[in-house]
Amino acid sequence: MQPQATMPKLSLPNIRTIIAVASGKGGVGKSTVSANLALALAAGGNKVGLMDADIYGPSMPTMMGINGVIDQATTPLPLEKYGLKIMSMGFLVPPTQAVIWRGPMVHRALTQFLSDLDWGVLDYLVIDLPPGTGDAQLTLTQTVPLNGSVIVTTPQEVSMIDARKGIEMFKQVRVPILGIIENMSYFIGDDGKRYEIFRHGGGAKLAQEYSVPFLGEIPIDPKVAESGDEGLPIVLKHPESLVSKAYMALAKSVISELGTMVAPKELPKLEL
Amino acid sequence: MTENNFALFPNSLKKQGDDSLLIDWNDGHQGILGWKHLRGNCPCATCRDERDKPANPFHILKPSELVQPAPTSLVPVGHYAYRIVWNDGHDSGIYTLESLRALCQCQECIAKKTTT
Repeated sequence: MQPQATMPKLSLPNIRTIIAVASGKGGVGKSTVSANLALALAAGGNKVGLMDADIYGPSMPTMMGINGVIDQATTPLPLEKYGLKIMSMGFLVPPTQAVIWRGPMVHRALTQFLSDLDWGVLDYLVIDLPPGTGDAQLTLTQTVPLNGSVIVTTPQEVSMIDARKGIEMFKQVRVPILGIIENMSYFIGDDGKRYEIFRHGGGAKLAQEYSVPFLGEIPIDPKVAESGDEGLPIVLKHPESLVSKAYMALAKSVISELGTMVAPKELPKLEL
Repeated sequence: MTENNFALFPNSLKKQGDDSLLIDWNDGHQGILGWKHLRGNCPCATCRDERDKPANPFHILKPSELVQPAPTSLVPVGHYAYRIVWNDGHDSGIYTLESLRALCQCQECIAKKTTT
């Protein structure tokens, strides 16, 4: 694990708690979980920020209904929408343009998102990580005082294989794991029956395997995708849905885990 | 949360003379690591690659290689490692706590390594 540049630890005194949402695998719903978790935390009266750390494939502009490149001369970043402060690479680059960057540029962009923007005072900053265990993850774990991470997986083994890699990464870099969430856990049909489309129980099994909390199950509902594509996340569009209730419960579990967690000690320094 | 109890942790780091680093670990172990040993075991990709190559019999020493290795800075990286900037300008090595413990040169650790 090598640094991409000199990386002093960022001081972010106005941000009380920083939570990274991660998974080893892409397509498990990390961005959907991040957006809805951030909104669920805000629904509890907290000041919340949402940072999209997926430089190559930002999803937040679509999910939060912010389309088009932002003119920074007239609109300061981070943007404010639905009570959240939001930052994404997608605000700076048109959706049809590919960001073709090597690691050092990703490092620079992420540190600028955190240190050069006025996030104001936040109770929680939720960071939506890209899939994998690469540059973005390393930059954030090395430079940002992360309070904890939430691992998202879907129930089937193929997703858990990569989720394990994510867990191992956080263990290695000593970022506390707040817990595991099983997304796309089950589907309730019109007949009222429960269907476990992608199998079931993988998240709980993984949590047990690593002795970390299991934060809950988020069911599949076509309304999740519809709401995301519409730019109005399900927690806001269908607050009474089973999925929204699961997100509200997730926010409570995350807050509860943060409350029981002992903050990692700072490493001693050596004066030369 | 068992997995979040990261057991191995240094209580303090001190210089010993000009050539070594002393680490007091939270399990009571007192580790000692020579700067030369640390520099020679730099975990960065370039240094690993150099170590893996067969020795070059025609290697010509650069002036920087004649200087006794010493750190110009040693700073924490996150909660899991230290980054050392060396007096030869090399700065890409990140030494995890586990690797610092594994590289320990105290008599007890040397004896363990020779018996295994």
